[in-house]
Amino acid sequence: MKMQRLLGSLICCSFLAAGATAADPVPPLDLPESQANSAAEMKPYEEVIEHTDATIEMLPIPGGVFTMGTPDTEQGRDDSEGPLHQVEVSPFWMGKYEITWEQYEIWGDELDTIRRRLLKSKETPRDAVVDGFTRPTEPYTDMTFGMGSGRHPAICMTQHAARTYCQWLSAKTGRYYRLPTEAEWEYACRAGTNTAYSFGDDPEMLDDYAWYGENTNDQYEPVGQKKPNPWGLYDMHGNVSEWVLDQYLPDFFKTSAKLNPLAIPKVLFPRVVRGGGWDNDPELLRSGARIASSEEWKEQDPQLPQSIWYHTDALSVGFRIVRPLTVPSEKERAEFWENTQPEQLDPPEGE
Amino acid sequence: MSNQSKTPESQDTRRDFIKATGTVAAAATFAATAAPQVHAAEDNTIQVALVGCGGRGTGAAVNALSVDNGPIKLVAMADVFPKNLERSQKNISNAFKDQEGKVDVPEERQFVDFDAYKKAMDVLRPGDVVILATPPAFRWVHFSYAIEKGLNVFMEKPVTVDGPTTVRIMELNKKAKEKNLKVAVGLMCRHCKARQELFERIQGGEIGEINMLRAYRMAGPTGTAACGPKPEGTSELMYQIANFHGFLWLSGGAVSDFLIHNIDETCWMKNDWPVKVHASGGRHYRGDDVDQNFDSYAMEYTFADGTKMYIGGRTMPGCRSEFASYAHGSKGMAVISTASHTPAKSRIYRGQVADKANLAWEFGQPEPNPYQLEWDDLIAAIREDREYNEVDRGAMASIVTSMGRMAAHTGQEITLDQMMSNKHEFAPGIDKLTLDSPAPLQAGDDGRYPIPLPGIIKKQEYLS
Repeated sequence: MKMQRLLGSLICCSFLAAGATAADPVPPLDLPESQANSAAEMKPYEEVIEHTDATIEMLPIPGGVFTMGTPDTEQGRDDSEGPLHQVEVSPFWMGKYEITWEQYEIWGDELDTIRRRLLKSKETPRDAVVDGFTRPTEPYTDMTFGMGSGRHPAICMTQHAARTYCQWLSAKTGRYYRLPTEAEWEYACRAGTNTAYSFGDDPEMLDDYAWYGENTNDQYEPVGQKKPNPWGLYDMHGNVSEWVLDQYLPDFFKTSAKLNPLAIPKVLFPRVVRGGGWDNDPELLRSGARIASSEEWKEQDPQLPQSIWYHTDALSVGFRIVRPLTVPSEKERAEFWENTQPEQLDPPEGE
Repeated sequence: MSNQSKTPESQDTRRDFIKATGTVAAAATFAATAAPQVHAAEDNTIQVALVGCGGRGTGAAVNALSVDNGPIKLVAMADVFPKNLERSQKNISNAFKDQEGKVDVPEERQFVDFDAYKKAMDVLRPGDVVILATPPAFRWVHFSYAIEKGLNVFMEKPVTVDGPTTVRIMELNKKAKEKNLKVAVGLMCRHCKARQELFERIQGGEIGEINMLRAYRMAGPTGTAACGPKPEGTSELMYQIANFHGFLWLSGGAVSDFLIHNIDETCWMKNDWPVKVHASGGRHYRGDDVDQNFDSYAMEYTFADGTKMYIGGRTMPGCRSEFASYAHGSKGMAVISTASHTPAKSRIYRGQVADKANLAWEFGQPEPNPYQLEWDDLIAAIREDREYNEVDRGAMASIVTSMGRMAAHTGQEITLDQMMSNKHEFAPGIDKLTLDSPAPLQAGDDGRYPIPLPGIIKKQEYLS
């Protein structure tokens, strides 16, 4: 058993975390349940964020072929949701819940580093990589907007911030995490169904599965309070919309690849969020509904230039993470997963 | 910013708003012609100078130039950091790149030094506007010169950081009033339409008798309130100015700079200023930081009729965050502002439970941006030659905020009378500072600055 673990670690080592260099491989945190060499071996596991109390629950999502998009007959459908097309996605793990504030703020506020120093904890091999990692600038305001922290979903981050969080988490854990593609997200949301929602077509049933415009007190709720979808994922409908990696292209489904499609972003707006949020109507909570990000999500930002990390008016936008079974090579990542324009850079520090 | 907003709704609001102020502008043009002494410029262009080119000053200049009721342009800028000025000039120019003539600040009107404020104001004509957006310690110095030059003023909050300078700025303001100068103070919440309506409703008795008020700005580290040791080779004075939220003499620290909006808007709803305060606070997570701030403050203010106002301030990461103000009355409660300064989303609930089912009134969304409104109001007053002076109110908000800070820092109950008559001035002689001056606050041999010691140092906030 011990040998197996060691072997597992070595295999994972070869798939470098973001931030590490080829010459300086960093071993992942040893979590036996997280190891798998095939889809059949994938198990649920809890990712550990070292030097904190937080963990992230991950569920295995077997790869497969599904019908992406919505039929012409679906109530509330937008033309951009078609045509229906067959898509194959490779196996991955997906966060059982949306990323919560207690998981998100570790990155932004350096709570892990602060705790490590205050408690004089021993450094792990990953800490050296993580210490130099990009963290967001301090927010201008209370980014929970008074709606609660802890197990409530983190909100109002830019897609760049959500992606950088994933890169930080990858460095932090030694395992490769990223945002889902739009196809992965829809595949996981549908969980083998082809109805408007993962529980059927009847929006009347939404109350059992989702926080949305009709049943919230004008705010988000702690994750995991409603029923999960057939694959055990919570809040795929409602609570907060979730960032995916893709550019929002209205006609993308006409031309997209059959295997693991991704619309690599070339402009900042619009990009895609999925699943709908606490302030949305039922139609935006459908498995196939596509929501486009917009510059309006920065409307109240009083800074000049505006922040690359925070939206100020995307109070029902968050994200959830995935970890592909087959980790892409650095080359693949550079060409595909991380090849996003325009580059986001903080303005130089002021005096 | 609302003037760059893209939503159809807010464009409507903005358009209606411009329409409304446009009417005022027509009247204003007439007024200005009829009373040329109000504004000397023959072409009716208001010239603006920016003194203090940090983030807020830059934002204020953009708001100023966005006022849409007559010609207005930026003509001079001043700062003690050349890089600040350069960046600010670039950003403002960029914001108005499609509007020729709005930004007219060639190199010869960019001034860098401690006396740069004078040079920038010397460019203006009486009746023009100077923006004072340096750390508040310099406010009375710059305000004095603005009055001397007959300039209208927009000054950022807070306007003072201690007792003596508060008395001084109120004294100075008498001269400003005599000269009929229009002076705005950047407590923009007072210009917010939602809060204005809420104020009317509260004064009209909609939540009954106010018996308790509370407000919070609890978040992670903010601004430069937590700052690390001075880098080698940097001047002590310039280091402190660059990290002005960290030093009480410059900014009044995190309390003055961050809590003043909540304290001001909450006192506003009570329509009074408190007469005393006691408070606690402490430093728990300063680590290697050398600034003078505590990382938590809890203040209990008392009004003359015994009503309490509780204020919570915290800059610890990872804790529950809240940035909001509330008023509780015998019949109901009011959310004065929710989640930051703007939009306020002011509302009233029946009873004390803020539940959707109990909602009695809420201000419609979206709200016009109060950072813009405060400028629209000032420039309209100038063009119409209406009395317009917010200094006394701003000075009261500043000293009431400083009073809470002093109570926490000394561990004593502080009355408003004591605060106003307190002789301890953080930075006497600040008007004489030059680039080579020693800083008014000096670090010890260990590189650390004097900090408050509640219960041990009681008459002033730290020993220097």
